[in-house]
Amino acid sequence: MTTVFLELRNLQKVFRVGLLARKVTAVRDVSLSLRRGESMGFLGPNGSGKTTSIKCILGLIRPTAGSVKLFGRDPWDIEARAGVGYLPESPYFYDWLTPREVMNYAGDLFGLDRTTRRTRTGALLERLGLGHAADRPLRGFSKGMLQRLGIAQSLLNDPELVIYDEPLSGLDPIGRKEVLDLMAELRSQGKSLFFSSHVLTDIETLCDAVTILNQGKVVAAGRLDALLDRGALEVEALFELGAGGEAAARALLAVEGSVERERTGARLRLAVPHDAVDALLQAGLAAGAKLEQLLPRRDSLEELFVRKAVRVEARGESQDSQDAAAKGQP
Amino acid sequence: MTGAVHVTGPARSLQRIAAVAANTLREARRNRVFYGMLAAAVLLLLFSVALSELALADQKARLVQDFGLFSISLLTVATAVLMGALLLHKELERKTLYAILPKPIRRSEFLVGKFAGLCALLGVQVGLLGACWWGVLVLRGGAMTPALALALGLQYVEVVLVTAVALFFSALTRPVLAGVLTAGVFVVGRVVYVLQDLLSAPKGGFAEVPVMRALGKVLVAVLPDLSTFNVADEVLLGWPVPTDYVVAALGYGLSWTVLFVALALVLFERRDLT
Ligand SMILES: Nc1ncnc2c1ncn2[C@@H]1O[C@H](COP(=O)(O)OP(=O)(O)OP(=O)(O)O)[C@@H](O)[C@H]1O
Ligand SMILES: [Mg+2]
Repeated sequence: MTTVFLELRNLQKVFRVGLLARKVTAVRDVSLSLRRGESMGFLGPNGSGKTTSIKCILGLIRPTAGSVKLFGRDPWDIEARAGVGYLPESPYFYDWLTPREVMNYAGDLFGLDRTTRRTRTGALLERLGLGHAADRPLRGFSKGMLQRLGIAQSLLNDPELVIYDEPLSGLDPIGRKEVLDLMAELRSQGKSLFFSSHVLTDIETLCDAVTILNQGKVVAAGRLDALLDRGALEVEALFELGAGGEAAARALLAVEGSVERERTGARLRLAVPHDAVDALLQAGLAAGAKLEQLLPRRDSLEELFVRKAVRVEARGESQDSQDAAAKGQP
Repeated sequence: MTGAVHVTGPARSLQRIAAVAANTLREARRNRVFYGMLAAAVLLLLFSVALSELALADQKARLVQDFGLFSISLLTVATAVLMGALLLHKELERKTLYAILPKPIRRSEFLVGKFAGLCALLGVQVGLLGACWWGVLVLRGGAMTPALALALGLQYVEVVLVTAVALFFSALTRPVLAGVLTAGVFVVGRVVYVLQDLLSAPKGGFAEVPVMRALGKVLVAVLPDLSTFNVADEVLLGWPVPTDYVVAALGYGLSWTVLFVALALVLFERRDLT
């Protein structure tokens, strides 16, 4: 059995729109690979080509150039898709069916026998909080309920690879937590996860690696810890200057590497490198300032993302993104 | 381990086609168009009873026979055109396709399943209306003869063919245009035999003007001759319909159906589902 579950090589998709067949490049150049048991977040702003790439992965659309391999096969091969659980972006189902009927239909397409189908349907609908609505027609279901049903039907075949397009969209905070927990559980069961999102902090805890797209190109890719450079931590401190006043502020800002972040009245927020924390605290004590808050801050995905996206935009079709794509493969 | 390990093989393939067909049927059962068509046909049948009151005594049953066949044909064909033209569009429009086609099912299986489901539905429609018609016939002192049943059966073959045409156009273009084109094929297909006669006649526009002759030949070549399935006149006149003819008509209908479904498959297979 192949250990590379998903592989994209220089994927490109150009749509032709309108009567004049104007070209719209949705995906310019995307390469990535996902191995068994790995979990990858697929990130990027609106219109960066995530959904288009995912549709290529599932054989809904054909790439203009480049290749897609799913379990080492062409996605048009039904055997390749047999082991996949897919959740479309804002999923829709026949609204005259009930969740149980949707599950039955899906079960038939997966070729499940009746007993397996029934047991799994019951368990999954229950697990996703649809137990009470299992026999109600979908007409009038809320977006979040459809999302839950989408997830339930994606797990019916007990897939080895789960591909979710924005699994958290449309869910309330409790729903998000439930879905995140479920995905963490899938991950701990050894399943591979590939999912898109633009809510970066949500998925940080869930993925080993990320691929970040912007305008159809990979702008950053690799293992999260490597990308985020967690070695170079920064610490943010909030001081109440009190009696020390202006002199205290000057003393604090005189600490090596210290940067002012915010100054409101007698309060000063500043940041120092990790190894300057001791010096900062001593300076604060000496100057009579009162420490109110001390927060370690690391490079967040958001910052990384904004940095990368901005850089690519500034350089246009630069070599940079391709370097990132090539270098970043896990 | 994955639960769906065996996805290949003809048995699995049939199972999936059946699942899609069953789902299509279930949808149609909850669809207003279907009931509208049923109601309209029943109304027409009742109208034929009223109309027959005006006819001479020995013509009453004849009129109900004739009008019944006509109404059933018209309304099942209308159902086939409407539902066939919308078949793929609805799945695309409501994005239901995106949850189905990524599953281990081939596009061809999906399309054949949709087609089979619609044909089954039309079969149910023809069956129900046939039963009503039978009742009306008995009411008017007639009876359902094997010949009448045969005429109805051949009409169903025609409806299946029209459904295949609708499927083809719905894979090709937008639903309204698909419906119009299918209706066009139906109407022209019904009279294409006239064109054949005109082309073989020694005189007249079709025989003499080269452009019209060429056009006529193309039409005759690309359109099924739907009059093949119309044995109403023979049946009503009490003429026998030879078995050979019925077998040939079945073969003819099946060939055209397979051709249009195959064309639809080719179109659908290549299509980007965005
Ligand atoms: N069928 C289509 N025809 C033409 N252009 C398309 C089509 N589908 C997508 N696009 C374009 O391709 C680009 C990428 O779209 P895509 O839906 O893949 O982005 P995305 O990353 O999923 O965005 P979002 O976060 O909003 O879901 C967009 O500019 C979009 O307008
Ligand atoms: Mg998207």
